Amino acid sequence: MQFELGTMLFQLGAFVLLVLLVSKFGSRPIINMMKKRQDHIQQQITSAEESRKEAESLLQQQKEVLEQARLEAKEMIARAKRQKEKEAEEIILQAKIRADQLVKEATREIELEKEKALSQLRDQVGLLSVQLTSKLLEKEVSDVEQTKLVDRYLEQVGRVQ
Amino acid sequence: MNRKRMDKTEKLSFQLGEIPVVFDIPVMIATTVAFLVVLALSLLAARNLTMVPTGLQNFIEMIIDFTSGIVRTNMDEKTASRFYGFAFTLFVYVVVSNELGLMFNVVTSEGNHQNAYAWWKSPTADINAVFSLAIAITLFAHLLGVIKSPKLYLREYFKPYWWMFPLHIIDEVAKPLTHGMRLWANIFAGEVLVIVLLQMNWLFAGAPLMVWIGYSLFVGVVQAYVFTILAFIYLSQKISTHD
Repeated sequence: MQFELGTMLFQLGAFVLLVLLVSKFGSRPIINMMKKRQDHIQQQITSAEESRKEAESLLQQQKEVLEQARLEAKEMIARAKRQKEKEAEEIILQAKIRADQLVKEATREIELEKEKALSQLRDQVGLLSVQLTSKLLEKEVSDVEQTKLVDRYLEQVGRVQ
Repeated sequence: MNRKRMDKTEKLSFQLGEIPVVFDIPVMIATTVAFLVVLALSLLAARNLTMVPTGLQNFIEMIIDFTSGIVRTNMDEKTASRFYGFAFTLFVYVVVSNELGLMFNVVTSEGNHQNAYAWWKSPTADINAVFSLAIAITLFAHLLGVIKSPKLYLREYFKPYWWMFPLHIIDEVAKPLTHGMRLWANIFAGEVLVIVLLQMNWLFAGAPLMVWIGYSLFVGVVQAYVFTILAFIYLSQKISTHD
């Protein structure tokens, strides 16, 4: 064991050269790659987080839209129902009015017919009674009298009518 | 005798003026191999990088994560990111260096044991190589401290009382010393015991040797971890204490 300057210098030179070479061509590119990978992973995590948030917000949006659609549909149905009810009521009302009108018309017609029948009946009765009376009175009533009587009678009938 | 055997390696030396410059050839060989292994590993891992890591890339990323974690526990995030490459290289290089000597053993001998030469050992089992790293890291730490704020750097030596200055000096000297010693002693002891077991009779060269090599592999990783963590503790002490 002795002091060897040459060995020391050789060792030192080799080591310094090795540090420079390895740093430049070995460890630096590898460390850069490691850093790049770390950044990449970081970025991936961040972007994944962002995507998740975006998806969540989209889902929320979709839910809101769906809820709105449901509400609208409900409202539409309600409106349609109301409309239908109103229409039905109107139809019924109209039908009622029409039925009343028909009934009224029919009543009037019946009344008219009755009136007509009555007047005809009265005419017939008058004529018959005149004939009957004239037959009964043929003998006793003079021609003048008879004429008078018939006239009066006719007048009476006319008034009744 | 074992110590001697362990130490006997081919040297290459010359005089640079008055200063003797000695190179230890096995350490140089092993350092070069460790250098190439670490470089090849990191370059292979950095080739065809994919977002979804597989195989080698995954493995290296795990180590980078681990070493970057060591840096982060000592410094704030912004400062730490400048040291990731250094931490990774330091840890992997020390692990590879620790384990190299356990892989195999090359000994050539001319005639007898006294002339046997080892050609292969862990660079970190050589005290010069380890201290080279430890001292460099300490100087680096001091340099960063001075660059950040020379005034605050100097003030640290007189805290909490001015007369504590000598203690601080001892502390600063002890740091690289213990830093290097700890690693070197662990790895050196591991290899010495491997050689001791190899030279005992067959009873020890079987299962006990396997157990010991396994344990040494484990120790190599743990010591690399300790070495790296201490390096960053020393660095952070100089950078961030005087905030």
